[in-house]
Amino acid sequence: MSRRHLVPAGVLLALLVYPVINPWQPYPQGVMLAAFLLAISASSWNIISGYAGYISLGHSMFLGLGSYTAAIVALHTGVNPLWVAPLGGVTAVLVAVVFGAIVLRTRGHAFVIITIALLLSAQIVATNWASLTNGSDGITLALPFWSSDFQNIPFYYAFLLLLVLTVLFSGWIARTKFGTGLIAIREDEGKAASIGVNTTIFKTMAYAASAFFIGVAGGVYAYYQTFLNPVGSFAILGSVLIVLSALLGGRGTLYGPVLGAFLVQLVNEGATVYGGNTQSRVLILGLILVAVVLFLPAGLLPTIEAAWRRRHPVAIEFTDQAAALSHDPVAAQRELGTPTAEAGRPLLEVRGASKRFGGLTAVDGADLTVREGSITALIGPNGSGKTTLFNLITGTMPADAGTVTFAGRRIEKLAPWTRAHLGLGRTYQVTRLFKNMTVLQNVVAPLPDGRLRTMLADAVSGAEADRARHLLDIVGLGRFEKQRAGSLSYGQQKLVELAQVLMLEPKLILLDEPAGGVNPSLLGRLGEVIRELNRGGVTFLIVEHNIPFVLELCDPVVVFARGRAIAEGPPALIRADPVVLDAYLGDDWRGADAHA
Amino acid sequence: MAQLVQAVALGVLIGGIYALMAAGLTLIFGVLRIINIAQGAFLVLVATFTWWLWRMIGIDPIVAAVITTPLMFGAGWLLYRFVIARIRGQAPSMSVLLTFGLALVIEGFLNVVAGNRFRSATPAYFEQSFSVGGILLPKAQVYGFLAAVLVLGGLYLVLTRTWTGRAIRATAQNPPAAALVGIGATGTAALAFALGSASAGVGGSILSVLYPFFPASHYDWISRLLGIVVLGGMGSLPGALTGALILGLAETLTATYGSLQWSTLVFYLVIMAVLLVRPQGLFGTQLREDAT
Repeated sequence: MSRRHLVPAGVLLALLVYPVINPWQPYPQGVMLAAFLLAISASSWNIISGYAGYISLGHSMFLGLGSYTAAIVALHTGVNPLWVAPLGGVTAVLVAVVFGAIVLRTRGHAFVIITIALLLSAQIVATNWASLTNGSDGITLALPFWSSDFQNIPFYYAFLLLLVLTVLFSGWIARTKFGTGLIAIREDEGKAASIGVNTTIFKTMAYAASAFFIGVAGGVYAYYQTFLNPVGSFAILGSVLIVLSALLGGRGTLYGPVLGAFLVQLVNEGATVYGGNTQSRVLILGLILVAVVLFLPAGLLPTIEAAWRRRHPVAIEFTDQAAALSHDPVAAQRELGTPTAEAGRPLLEVRGASKRFGGLTAVDGADLTVREGSITALIGPNGSGKTTLFNLITGTMPADAGTVTFAGRRIEKLAPWTRAHLGLGRTYQVTRLFKNMTVLQNVVAPLPDGRLRTMLADAVSGAEADRARHLLDIVGLGRFEKQRAGSLSYGQQKLVELAQVLMLEPKLILLDEPAGGVNPSLLGRLGEVIRELNRGGVTFLIVEHNIPFVLELCDPVVVFARGRAIAEGPPALIRADPVVLDAYLGDDWRGADAHA
Repeated sequence: MAQLVQAVALGVLIGGIYALMAAGLTLIFGVLRIINIAQGAFLVLVATFTWWLWRMIGIDPIVAAVITTPLMFGAGWLLYRFVIARIRGQAPSMSVLLTFGLALVIEGFLNVVAGNRFRSATPAYFEQSFSVGGILLPKAQVYGFLAAVLVLGGLYLVLTRTWTGRAIRATAQNPPAAALVGIGATGTAALAFALGSASAGVGGSILSVLYPFFPASHYDWISRLLGIVVLGGMGSLPGALTGALILGLAETLTATYGSLQWSTLVFYLVIMAVLLVRPQGLFGTQLREDAT
């Protein structure tokens, strides 16, 4: 067990023995019990809102759904609510999947809004569907079946068990490629889609995962309360406590929401005891929420961790240029297997692709063929539509017209992640790494296929992580695996992005200005890596302004202008083509020539 | 038939008022990319203040908008400058949490100061109606609708005809480019937030006559307004108008032919149905920055 888990394990032990050494104290036990419930809720919330970054302001709905499910089933079947509490989790998951699948297809803000609307809708349904829920009169359940000598101690252990399970579940998710994908979505959703993360499925699964344990806890809670009604079960104040707990402790961390829940429960209890009525409690909680957002936005645990890091800095290392330059070229080849293709067959065919932004036609009926096994260059003046064409090929943007065929399959209507699964990888003109993730997490994040087994594979250790380390060694950044990607230099980020794409095991890699910001010796290495990979069977399409680099590396060269290709041929021909020289290479070419 | 016309007429009147309330929210989102969860609390705050003005001084609630609107403009400006501007550049979810916190602060404040009970301003015309060809139009709704249309028209003129309005629209479309041509982003953002808050000034005063309210009713309001904005497409003003009309009609039609309790739920179902077909909402477009 690592040192990180020692303190939580000690606390857990103390909580386990507490009712034994201090059994006749119902009040503190009740407060603890409420804290456990809040911690379960906040840890659950953390999966969708902490890991994936999609804020839910109505998460207490799942608690109410769980309560009502267990209560209604218990009432109709006569079974004890405690035994059917897991059904509460099932209901919560079903509701999350149905509404998540509708709302989470888009990026951004619709989700947060729907979570509030769902909570209020649930209250309306529970109030008005009286035949099922007994309306606003609520449902009264039987008293606990055990002797009153045991007080609420069985509930104490039930909630504690659920809390431990929730934290283990959350920790397991964080270790999988699924968890890495969720964080990738939080950091940069468009980029996540381009490295094979099926964002809709990931987000919906995260929402479902964040609903289960809170739903089960709701079932137990109904029995604990022995009474439930619409207003109490679907209270928005419950959601406030959940959000505040996770935020205060540190959202996105494993233990933050638990720590936050204990603190918030203490404050809440104090406000109820000393602050008078519940009215002033809303004011106090609101003020705390505002203060936390303004002054402690990262939350307690991350802030403490950052302070610790500042006091105990790790020595900064530099790019392992020597290692990168001396890296065994065969290794890179091995990495990508043996060449399979008979060279020369068209791998990617774009026909009549067009894209307009309002009045501006960025790509205008463009045709482009990339042959298998080639390193094709795409050059042309700024604004000629090269990057937009990349976006159409990878599915970042939908094309207005035209077809894209990849490896014999029409792909222009497919989602970006499906195209990535087919073997289409890309890098960006301005690097788009997940800046708050470590370098290793960045490289391990891509998903080469859409299978569940791949999603749930271990990301931080095991085969996937080894592969990622190996790819980092190829680009000479193996030493940096534990660094935050955002702390690397621009050129280093370019190399990490290349390693990231390689994780997809792509057939075709689209490189958008790979040489920008990379120093000359590393640039040489970059060219070498590209050639090695190419020998290993990977086809390249490269947009680049560094003309000497292009002319040396690529064949054929396609010249793009005003949204379509105007010339294509081997570098020697393009170099000599007066039309191309005058119209499109122009100053660029002569300038580069003077430097060369 | 008369019943249908009556329901539609009422729906349009209410829709116009919803449109005004949602316009502020859309304006703030369009320029600042902030979902102002506190917009509902602004409405209830103003409604309470309006009720107090009416009760203590006898000012007509709808006329009180003349007082509450500039007050909310100033309050919005200050709030942006001293609180919300502090989290510029952070993840968008932080602004959701911050404005949610502000909504709670306002709710708690109203709880403590005004007490947790239902209120409603009931001026003399409260229960009177205009009768047009057999259709009854409650005076309060008509006055509220006229005030809303007036303010929406004014807002439209400000946005399209004044330098300030152009600055706001420019910042909404492309903040860096707007900054390059000499439009200060923070100043413009504060103005947009102030204008959005000011619309809650008018909206809240109208609300005080039309609906009973209490401190926690801001959840209902923000939920409706956000529903309108999602339905119409985030950040789209025509979308907000359409969404508001659909909500108004859904509510009155459900109340007429079904029951009042289910009316809000019907609207949420409409939203889900629309999102099923068009994930970006009715008027929403995929923005270029979504893709790159």
